[in-house]
Amino acid sequence: MAYLDLKNVSKLFGTVAAVKDFNLAVEKGEFVSLLGPSGCGKTTTLRMIAGFEMPDAGTITLAGDDITIVPPNKRGTGMVFQAYALFPNMTVRDNVAFGLEVTGHPKAEIDERVREMLAIVRLPDAGKRYPHQLSGGQQQRVALARALAIRPRVLLLDEPLSALDAVVRVALRGEIRKIQLDLGITTVYVTHDQEEALSISDHVVVMNQGLIEQLGTPEEIYRQPKTRFVAAFIGTANQLHGVVVDRAQVQFGTMMLRAPVPSNLSASHQVVVLVRPESVTIHSAAPSSNQQNVLEGTIQTITFLGPITRIAVDVSGTRVVADVTAANRAALSHNQPVWLAFDPEACQVMASQ
Amino acid sequence: MKKQNSIFSLVLIGIFVLYMIIPIIATYMFSIATKWDVSILPEGYTLDWYQTAFDHPYFSITLTNSFIVSFSAVLAGLFFIVPTTYWVHTRVPSAKPLLDLLMILPFGIPAVVLALALIRVYNFQPVARSPFLLISGCVIFSMPFMYRPVSNSLMAIDVHTLTESALNLGANTFQILVRVIAPNIMPGILSGALLVFATVFAEFTLANLITGASFKTFPLLLVEFTKRDGRVAAALSVISFTVAWIASLAILWVSGRGHKPTEEVVAAH
Ligand SMILES: Nc1ncnc2c1ncn2[C@@H]1O[C@H](COP(=O)(O)OP(=O)(O)OP(=O)(O)O)[C@@H](O)[C@H]1O
Ligand SMILES: [Mg+2]
Repeated sequence: MAYLDLKNVSKLFGTVAAVKDFNLAVEKGEFVSLLGPSGCGKTTTLRMIAGFEMPDAGTITLAGDDITIVPPNKRGTGMVFQAYALFPNMTVRDNVAFGLEVTGHPKAEIDERVREMLAIVRLPDAGKRYPHQLSGGQQQRVALARALAIRPRVLLLDEPLSALDAVVRVALRGEIRKIQLDLGITTVYVTHDQEEALSISDHVVVMNQGLIEQLGTPEEIYRQPKTRFVAAFIGTANQLHGVVVDRAQVQFGTMMLRAPVPSNLSASHQVVVLVRPESVTIHSAAPSSNQQNVLEGTIQTITFLGPITRIAVDVSGTRVVADVTAANRAALSHNQPVWLAFDPEACQVMASQ
Repeated sequence: MKKQNSIFSLVLIGIFVLYMIIPIIATYMFSIATKWDVSILPEGYTLDWYQTAFDHPYFSITLTNSFIVSFSAVLAGLFFIVPTTYWVHTRVPSAKPLLDLLMILPFGIPAVVLALALIRVYNFQPVARSPFLLISGCVIFSMPFMYRPVSNSLMAIDVHTLTESALNLGANTFQILVRVIAPNIMPGILSGALLVFATVFAEFTLANLITGASFKTFPLLLVEFTKRDGRVAAALSVISFTVAWIASLAILWVSGRGHKPTEEVVAAH
């Protein structure tokens, strides 16, 4: 059995099924992210682990104990909330010490632990300040220190960075990951930001309408999305609708695409061929290679995105995007006829519907 | 236009202040006047009426009784109304409209009706006509004064998240209430306590009907004196004001001392 184990967990709110038959096994020391659009049940899942919601079905075990019906103040989970939930009447020191004080730890131990935790979140001198004297990012660091101070068996974070500005967000997520690795603490992290989930997790759980769409490493989720939902939700993917011809070919309009067709999809099956924009190259003359798939079209839009430029091309009515670097972008202009090329291996074929 | 408006409101405020303050000043003057029948200002000044009031055997008894009743009502508010309000806000928010309604009821029931009803229903020993029954009546009648400010303060803070953070850190309900919730709604609790204290201290009808002579309160003594000697009654009124003032100042002092950051944060919310 895994360290944190959710088995067939379901949660209903009235008639709304927030989480349906959810299974998740998190190993000790692992960092797992729950990722999905708003309302997909991420928070509900996390709150069931913390004990703030009672599952309608299923069991939750933590370190071998069945905690399904254990009250939240007896679970030993450390939670960081989206809204800075620091106690406004207490100093930073008292906030961090709170969990140890209410459970009756000796003062010397508490002082030592507070010092250690504030050092970990790099706020060693903030002990005497009040939460309202701190920036949002600092408050979330204190919230993290407070959650870690009780030495929780699992750390739970519910969109801890979503109220912060972009620069702080990126810096702090890296710090959270580093602290998590240093302490080796099992962590479940909720976010709707795919970049955040992919960049700091060992495993990502992509959720949709209370169900798990896919569970895998960030690479797997990005490179081998199992469903169209995952493909569309993670990053940007071109979706070319076509019909299976044989194991290696898909008819796309009047063109034939070479792509590895999974064995469960037989000839004449309606399919979608997925290609990431960064796998597509763009050429102002027809490329000579006959190993690659080549599509012909005209440039619709050119969008500068900093390190890359995204080119949208109209291929007989289908919009296909390609990412190019600054050097390759220079030669391109609106309404220019171009050729797009991509390897068969860069394609992923999945059933449409 | 603007200017006229502000002059108009100044005049209005002035009239209102005079209307409120003149009786207080007059009472105060009357309490230290030797004779004040025919002249515009008193003919002389004396503290005799205070002396008479202090010397009256019932003075310290009624003052003590009033303090007992007022403090008991404040304590009952702190121990029953505050936790109940918190409980409803966090656990049964659907019952909040019901509680809001319930807390208006005491305003709709005349004190006479409440007193007679309590006397009839609790017509058995040892509660019948006891100070305990009087205190209970005062708790009912002053309930809204504690409930309103506390409920408003609870709405101004994020009770849910604060409660859940504390629970998550291992605190029990008592610890959450005392260490997290109460300090964050302290301004509401203090103004509630003050209002309860002041209204109960000045309460006459319930005390007169429920306990009457067996457990006299300060307002009863005051009313007795208005029939006998108006100047002593005025002195008693001034003492009553002073008690209310001291109570308010004490509460303001306590709130100003320990809870600066709380107030700022509550204001920021
Ligand atoms: N207390 C509640 N009462 C009723 N319905 C609820 C409650 N909490 C959540 N829901 C519903 O359950 C579903 C899942 O909600 P949840 O908060 O878990 O989503 P989420 O994935 O965290 O979304 P977001 O990214 O917006 O935070 C939603 O349809 C939501 O409306
Ligand atoms: Mg959520």
